Amino acid sequence: MSAIAASFAVSSAHNTNTGVGALQRERELNRFLMDVEKRALRIAEISVRDRDDAMDIVQDAMIKLARKYSNRGASEWPPLFYRILQNGVRDWHRRRSVRNRVIAWIGGAAGDDEAPDPIAAAADPDGRTPEQQLQSREAMQSLERALRVLPLRQREAFMLRTFEGLDVAATALAMSCTEGSVKTHYSRAVHALRESLGDHWQ
Amino acid sequence: MKEPDKTDDTSDDGRLAERARQLFDESVRELDAETLSRLNRSRHNALAELKSGSTDLRWLRWTPAAAVAAAAVAAVVVWRAPDLDQLPSDVASDFEMLLAEEELEMLEDLEFYRWLALDETAEETGADDHVG
Repeated sequence: MSAIAASFAVSSAHNTNTGVGALQRERELNRFLMDVEKRALRIAEISVRDRDDAMDIVQDAMIKLARKYSNRGASEWPPLFYRILQNGVRDWHRRRSVRNRVIAWIGGAAGDDEAPDPIAAAADPDGRTPEQQLQSREAMQSLERALRVLPLRQREAFMLRTFEGLDVAATALAMSCTEGSVKTHYSRAVHALRESLGDHWQ
Repeated sequence: MKEPDKTDDTSDDGRLAERARQLFDESVRELDAETLSRLNRSRHNALAELKSGSTDLRWLRWTPAAAVAAAAVAAVVVWRAPDLDQLPSDVASDFEMLLAEEELEMLEDLEFYRWLALDETAEETGADDHVG
C-alpha cells in the first residue's frame, strides 16, 4: 500500500470514531456499491448460471467488503471487491462439485437443479426494435456460452478488464496474480473467444 | 461507469472487446425491477454492517444448525458404514467443507438425507418382515 493510501486509511479509521466520519464512509461505500452491484451480479451470473446464487455471492461480497475493508481508501475498493467476488465464485464451483460428489456417494440423484434463466421482458431503454433486442440477446447468450468454456483465470481476466473496466494493475490485484499473468490470460481469452464466436459475431 | 482500458487493444481484439462490453452493458440495463430491488436490499444489508460494528458474531447464529447438520451427516456416514470401503478418500474432507460456515444448502439437503435413510431402512425392515 502506498504511503498516501496508508495515511488515508489511518485517517479514515480515526474518522470512523466520529459520527461525521462514519456517515461519510457509509455514503462513499453506498455510492461505490451502487456503482458496481449490477455489473457484479451479471459477472457472477455468467459464471454460475444462476441468478439467485449470483445474488447470494454479490451480497456476500458486499458484506465482506463493508466488514473488512471499509476503512480502506475508496480507490482500493474495486479490486478488493472483485477479489472477494471472484473468490465467492470459485467457492461456489468448489462447493457445487463437492456437493454433487457427496450426494452421488450417498446414492441420491444429483439432479440438475440449474434453473432456467428467463430474461424478463421489458421495454427497451435504448429504443431498439424487438428484432434488434433479440439479436443482442442472442449475441450475449453466445458470448456467455463462449465465456463459460474458457479456463477460469482467462474468464476472470476478460470479464474484469472488459466488463468492469479494471486496468491491468487492478485486475492483477483482484485476481491475486502478476500483471504479466493478467495480460497473458486476457490475450488468450480474447483469442479463444474470437475463435469460438467467429468473425460474424462482431 | 468506467472507460474500458484500451492500452493493449489491437484492431480485432479491440473490436471484440468493445462489442462484448456493449452487449454486457445492455444486459445490465435490462435487469428487471425485482432484481434491482434485491440488489438494493443486499446493499443496505452490507451497509448495516458498518453500523453493527466490526465484531462478527454471526457464526453464533448458525452454531446450533451446524451441530444438527454435523450430527445428521455423521448418522448418514455411520448408516452407510458397510460402504465405507468404497468411500473416496476425498469425500470425508468434503463433509467438512459442506459443513462450513453458512453452508445453508446443506441444511436443505438434510431433509433429503433423512428421507433417504428412513426410506431404505424401512425397505430393509419391510423385506425382513415379509420373508416367510
